[in-house]
Amino acid sequence: MDPSFDDVWAECEDLFAQARERLATLKTPQPAHVVQASVNALFRSTHTLKGMAGMLGFPRFSQAAHRMEDIFDLMRQGRLRSTDSLIETLESGIQALESGLAGLQRGQPEPDDYLHAIRRQLGELEALARPPDGAVLDLTSLLDLPPDVLKALSEYERTRVTAVLLAGIPIHGIRVSLELATFDERLRALSEAAGAQGELISALPLEAAEGQDGLSFLLLVAAPILEFQGLGAGPDEALEILRLADPERIPASLRAAPESPEASSQAAEPLQASPPPAAQDAEVLRLPAQRVEALEARLMAVAQVRDTASQVLRQLEDPDLDRPRAMMGEIETGLLEVQKSLLQMRMVKVESLFQRIEPMVKALSRDMGKPVRVSFQGGELELERSLLGRLTEPFLHLVRNALDHGLEGAAERVAQGKAEIGSLKISASQRGRNLRFDIRDDGRGFDLARIEARGLAMGLLREGQVHTAEDLHRLTLEPGFSTRERASQISGRGVGMDVVRAEVVGMGGEIQISSEPRRGSLVRLSLPLSRAVVGCLKVRCGKQIFGIPLSHVLRVQASPEALRGGSRAEVLGENLPMESLQACLGLPEPAQGQRLLVVLRQQGASADASLDLALGVDEVSGRAELLLRSLPELAHAPGIMGGSLQEEGILWVLDPEDLMGLAMDSLMRRVAGV
Amino acid sequence: MSETSLLLRAKAAGRDILLPMSGLREVVALAPITPLPGGPPGIQGVVLYQGEFLPVLDWTALQGCPARLESAVAMAVLMPRLGLPLEGLTGTLEAPEEGWSDPAEGDPWAPILAKVCRVGGEELALLDPDHLLALLHRLRKDR
Repeated sequence: MDPSFDDVWAECEDLFAQARERLATLKTPQPAHVVQASVNALFRSTHTLKGMAGMLGFPRFSQAAHRMEDIFDLMRQGRLRSTDSLIETLESGIQALESGLAGLQRGQPEPDDYLHAIRRQLGELEALARPPDGAVLDLTSLLDLPPDVLKALSEYERTRVTAVLLAGIPIHGIRVSLELATFDERLRALSEAAGAQGELISALPLEAAEGQDGLSFLLLVAAPILEFQGLGAGPDEALEILRLADPERIPASLRAAPESPEASSQAAEPLQASPPPAAQDAEVLRLPAQRVEALEARLMAVAQVRDTASQVLRQLEDPDLDRPRAMMGEIETGLLEVQKSLLQMRMVKVESLFQRIEPMVKALSRDMGKPVRVSFQGGELELERSLLGRLTEPFLHLVRNALDHGLEGAAERVAQGKAEIGSLKISASQRGRNLRFDIRDDGRGFDLARIEARGLAMGLLREGQVHTAEDLHRLTLEPGFSTRERASQISGRGVGMDVVRAEVVGMGGEIQISSEPRRGSLVRLSLPLSRAVVGCLKVRCGKQIFGIPLSHVLRVQASPEALRGGSRAEVLGENLPMESLQACLGLPEPAQGQRLLVVLRQQGASADASLDLALGVDEVSGRAELLLRSLPELAHAPGIMGGSLQEEGILWVLDPEDLMGLAMDSLMRRVAGV
Repeated sequence: MSETSLLLRAKAAGRDILLPMSGLREVVALAPITPLPGGPPGIQGVVLYQGEFLPVLDWTALQGCPARLESAVAMAVLMPRLGLPLEGLTGTLEAPEEGWSDPAEGDPWAPILAKVCRVGGEELALLDPDHLLALLHRLRKDR
């Protein structure tokens, strides 16, 4: 890839981030001028993307961006109103373009149509918004249905009704009564059968007729003819076909698409309202990442000079130098602030990843007929922008898997005594040097028996050996295990999970899966943070200084007598195991023992179920906010989260959870006498 | 002189070595190395290089290396971000067209050498950076 275009790629990424934010704004009720400002910004973003794609030599991307730009143009002209279904389509479009861009960056060829998945919706939007003179039509009133049923139609369904009638296709209704126990399966079967004969526009629940058990539905189907036989109705389902709307009933004046007074006023309103300058239109400065890196390196060199100067000042025992020393302290604080600001430039909130996932969950939930309650936690955490792009695809894959294979349909859930609506919880948390993502559903879990059978059949497992649940969950991540054909025979999960693992491992992370039958599944991704600012307690052991993240420090206390590793320490009335930090890190332990204890608590553990441990150190030298840098892959060491440059040299920041594990190992070895 | 045929001649772990210049970022004065407790075998610690931590090779982890080494004065920074401490720098030379042979049987450094070259009566070992990294990975895995 031509490096001279790096800044163009970077700008494209920024434009997508802005587009997502604008679309998120449109999802909640906003004053007209905010809607108009957002639509205008989206129009400009897609226009710029179109031009940049042309510059980069991707004509199909440019065409797709142009198509999206056209839709935003129709919106800003007032020819398309901002509705839930429209925003959902636009989100899908922006997401498709963004994924496409990521593919191009990875060197993949251009697809034929980036917007393939929403081609139909876009076509309809364009058709509806562009009658000869620009009027917006709504022909749902032509449906022979009671007003309360008409009211239940979504905006998208209304546009479809109008579009098919304008295209001269009649709309039929299929009224059917289904048994409560099997209605979801039957409804799906009927929908598929109806879809085979025409276009299924909607499946509306109806009030059941008096004395009738079960649930009643009305399916709206656009088709020239609808054949009863092809629908596969059951004997007790009281299936009835109705002719709801005939294109012949469209008034001639409407077929010529004159401007209705209502549509005209809708179209005119936004044009009259001259949007005030939007406060959120702050100037965005785009920089290639290399420039920030170069600046960071330069800053680091300045920090080294500062350290040397600081040392020289300290060596000079002159009271007149107190003020220069204080000034040096101010420089140090200022430099740390600048470093933190630079770090901030590279980071984005995890929320922006969640924003990409939410629309997909909604769309999948609707398409699969599985009601899902999705919740997100930890959106305020930050991750590097470069990771965000790489994480989106694996996340979408995992969410798709959870909805497709993990969560049951409503009827199955109710039959199992579960809540009718499935739960999908996605959370982010910082754990030591890692950013951890949990994707948890309350579905059926992995079918381990079938996974084992498949593993044996494929020769990935050996007959006669005991395979733990962990082994079997891990098997689903194996390349070759999860082809489409095989996955279809396994009622659990696993489609393309090897691809997810490859991407996560490529980021230096790990993936773990666990599940419980009928209770749900958990997919956990742990990704290393390459940079972060961490509040630490600085401690000395031997000649080296270490940082212990304050998030895990419960208390610091002095012991009345020197203690050696393996002894017990009295802390706030509790008798805690004590280990020397040196012993944890494989360094020589001080023969005289240690008097200073740092009490660590495992993060997240409640007070009554926590693991506390006293760590012996030689000296506690204060607390500091440290700019953490991760270690390169070759230099990973147990217990060490990363390093930070300090006056004393490189200071290692310890990973508290790892450290507690090392301490427990060391204590066990002492007990075992090894 | 093409870059790919240019070699750095240096002294490391008591041995005359050649390094392909195309595989080097640069050669810098050696900064103090910060030891990394519990660090992987073959890595003696890290130095700060261009604002990032750079792992530094521990020659003594390689078979056939003397237990005590002369003090290093410089460091060759390999492209895949690994520092090689060097005890001396002789200069650069264009890869000779002749005089190349496979490492002698039993040469403990054979796994990390591409070839051996005889120049002016001296035997120079051409290091293969990829082989060196592979060896480090193996050491790490075996731990």
